[in-house]
Amino acid sequence: MPDNETVTNLGLDEYKYDFVTDDEPVFKAEKGLSEDLVRQISAHKEEPEWMLDFRLKALEIYYSKPMPEWGGDLSTLNLDEIYLKEEWEEQGIIFESIEDGLKLHPEMFREHFATIVPPQDNKFAALNSAVWSGGSFVYIPKGVDVDVPLQAYFRVNAEQMGQFERTLIICEEGSQAHYIEGCTAPVYTTESFHSGVIEIIVKKGARFRYTTIQNWSNNMYNLVTQRALVNEDATMEWLDGNLGSKLTMKYPSCFLVGERAHGSILSIAYAGDGQHQDTGGKVVHAAPYTTSQITSKSISRGHGRATYRGQCKVYEGAVGSKSNVECDALLLDETSRTDTYPYIEIDENQSSIGHEARVSKVGEEALFYLMSRGLSEEEAMTMVVRGFIEPIAKELPLEYAIELNRLIELEMEGSVG
Amino acid sequence: MLTANLPEHEPGSLRRRREAAWDEFARHPMPTRKSEEWRYTDISGLDVEAYRTLVAGPGQENGGAPGRTAIPAPVQAVLDNGQARSAFMVQDGGQVIRTELDPELKAMGVLFAPLLEVLESHPELIERYLFASSVGPAEVKLWALHSATVSDGYVLHVPAGVVIPDPVHVLRHLDQPGALISTHSLIITEAGSSVTCVDEYVSPDLEPGSLSLNGTEIFGADNASVNFISLQRYGSGVKHFSMQHATTGRDSRVVGFNVTLGGDLARSDVTSHLEGEAADSEMLALWFGDGSQHFDHNTLQHHVASHAHSDLLYKGALTGGARSVFRGLIRVDPKAQRTDAYQTNRNLLLSEDASATALPNLEIEADDVRCSHGATVGQVDDMQMFYLMSRGLSRKQAERLLVIGFFEEVLSRVPVDGVRERVREAIEEKIGL
Repeated sequence: MPDNETVTNLGLDEYKYDFVTDDEPVFKAEKGLSEDLVRQISAHKEEPEWMLDFRLKALEIYYSKPMPEWGGDLSTLNLDEIYLKEEWEEQGIIFESIEDGLKLHPEMFREHFATIVPPQDNKFAALNSAVWSGGSFVYIPKGVDVDVPLQAYFRVNAEQMGQFERTLIICEEGSQAHYIEGCTAPVYTTESFHSGVIEIIVKKGARFRYTTIQNWSNNMYNLVTQRALVNEDATMEWLDGNLGSKLTMKYPSCFLVGERAHGSILSIAYAGDGQHQDTGGKVVHAAPYTTSQITSKSISRGHGRATYRGQCKVYEGAVGSKSNVECDALLLDETSRTDTYPYIEIDENQSSIGHEARVSKVGEEALFYLMSRGLSEEEAMTMVVRGFIEPIAKELPLEYAIELNRLIELEMEGSVG
Repeated sequence: MLTANLPEHEPGSLRRRREAAWDEFARHPMPTRKSEEWRYTDISGLDVEAYRTLVAGPGQENGGAPGRTAIPAPVQAVLDNGQARSAFMVQDGGQVIRTELDPELKAMGVLFAPLLEVLESHPELIERYLFASSVGPAEVKLWALHSATVSDGYVLHVPAGVVIPDPVHVLRHLDQPGALISTHSLIITEAGSSVTCVDEYVSPDLEPGSLSLNGTEIFGADNASVNFISLQRYGSGVKHFSMQHATTGRDSRVVGFNVTLGGDLARSDVTSHLEGEAADSEMLALWFGDGSQHFDHNTLQHHVASHAHSDLLYKGALTGGARSVFRGLIRVDPKAQRTDAYQTNRNLLLSEDASATALPNLEIEADDVRCSHGATVGQVDDMQMFYLMSRGLSRKQAERLLVIGFFEEVLSRVPVDGVRERVREAIEEKIGL
């Protein structure tokens, strides 16, 4: 069964959701994006020749791929208006920047870089591959258990700046770690764009958790490719919170390629007025006895739209695989919208796959009960929403759980009347 | 060109409708896998012109249809099974060869007749209801082909308050290889009426294969009740495309039940438009696929009005190298408050090479709703197998028994006893219990 060879057959090179599209040039950058710019970035970072070649090839792939027509509305996204910032500040990072990773550990970097998310994967992965800048390089040595979370905090503060963070994480056999990334952006009038690529390799028996809470400003396009390759007896957990941005399209993925590998995706989305959270997860079972769990909770308020989009694929030969997907959607207003689009593709009969989704509004009985205890309608509503996301909040480290609750309270202000 | 086989003189408005449908057909490309609704079923290479159409108007040279008047033996066998019927019709190669309706019901004003006859006898019904359903972009190409090549079908019109006690059974026989047959079913109810229809498809194995198209339009009036059952047990070689549209009036109830057993490729597009307040739509389906059969069910529960209820339960079992696709959508419009909508798809994979794809989708634009969906793919339970085998059953017998048990959840929801029996018989025949 799958070793690293089969991994190349998993469709990592294919368009992310197998949406069949023609490759034809649809966009030529003048203003922001050009070969010159890519050369400048590479020269500025004093990169080896192979990385410059990689970037230039990725740029060609980017030009050849059409804009996705599924998911959120990208028609108002103008990539010509994006400028790139080459240097940026990092705060509170207790591990290396991706640039230092390339400089200081060239061999290990080259061995793993772009193996999980190749530039051919999707248009935005190609763009990121061409112009990536910033992000983290994490390496956890064999058997090491890091009990304090690794934290990265990105702040975007130049208007019209594209943010192409790139993170590569390698967890050696039997290691354990938790990585936390939080993103905020101040509000600007012109739309901004963030397109990150996160690649994680979880080796035999290792355990890794990646937590993101994004609260981008409400004019941000947030299009991120996050993917983990999970080996024998290893566990990967994605904890994905999406509160901000104008449009987020993000589906953290686990490719379970070793026997008994486990993948877990916990996703929470809050879509307020003018926001579209198109989020979910993807699990690919490519080895026997692999297991996965996706739990998604979304809240739509005002004219907000929350979409769950997910994929569960079980390859023939992945005997004894089990996957369970649960989606809960809460609608707060009559103008709110929610969608659920799971893709369940099963080629192995010795497997057990389940998907469930529920949509509801805040229960009148619950509100009545809380208000009869003296809470205002807004307080009662906030409390119900907090209870709704509790299963995810409790998985967060305390300070992040408090932050999440505080953000939800802020978002809920003025929710009644 | 397919049109060459079409009759020159036809009753009523059919000629005009055909021409419009051919224009529509020419305007749209064949669906490809780029379309979400056709992502897992590739018909882009389907060459419709390779088939002979079997179309003939009344009193005309038949367009290659068998032209027999005797009821074919496989149909007679079903008619002889002793089940009660209020009416029946036999179609052979897309032509109606026999229509019987209980005279008492006829006296009460029930109309049950071949489509071609009704075109002339009741033009007002045709004008109002024929091809009146709103067809989505995924169906438009095949719906146009169906409308352009329709050879016959039936119209069932039930006056207000009339309850048809026993099922109306329509048997369709096909034994011409390389044929394209296209039939239409029009079920029109008036307020407070009630009817059960069973559409059954049979054929031997055909080589070269044939193409079968069916369009069904069900109009559930206020307080009406319609049970519609489609039982497809074609032989190998047949590609069957079934497009069903039900519209539900206020406080009406429509149960649609699709049983898919035969054909190489069977695709059903089943839509329930909940247009009347507090309407109730139950959508049921069963399929059992073996060999290299490919079944695709594409459903839509469209909640337009408030306080309506819809519940979908689609279950399939696959063995050999069979494949199935279920794609279902619950769409709740902003005005459809107080909607209750449910959708469940369960798949049983009995062999290594069988595969199932499930895409249960929700699009909810009203807030005061209860909606849920679930989908599962799994295998027969080891403990249950062990138990049955410890009682002396072979592995195959035990497995088949568990499949019947798996289907029972759906069968038990079919509200007509005789129909349940007929479907159970057909399933047992297919899976060889």
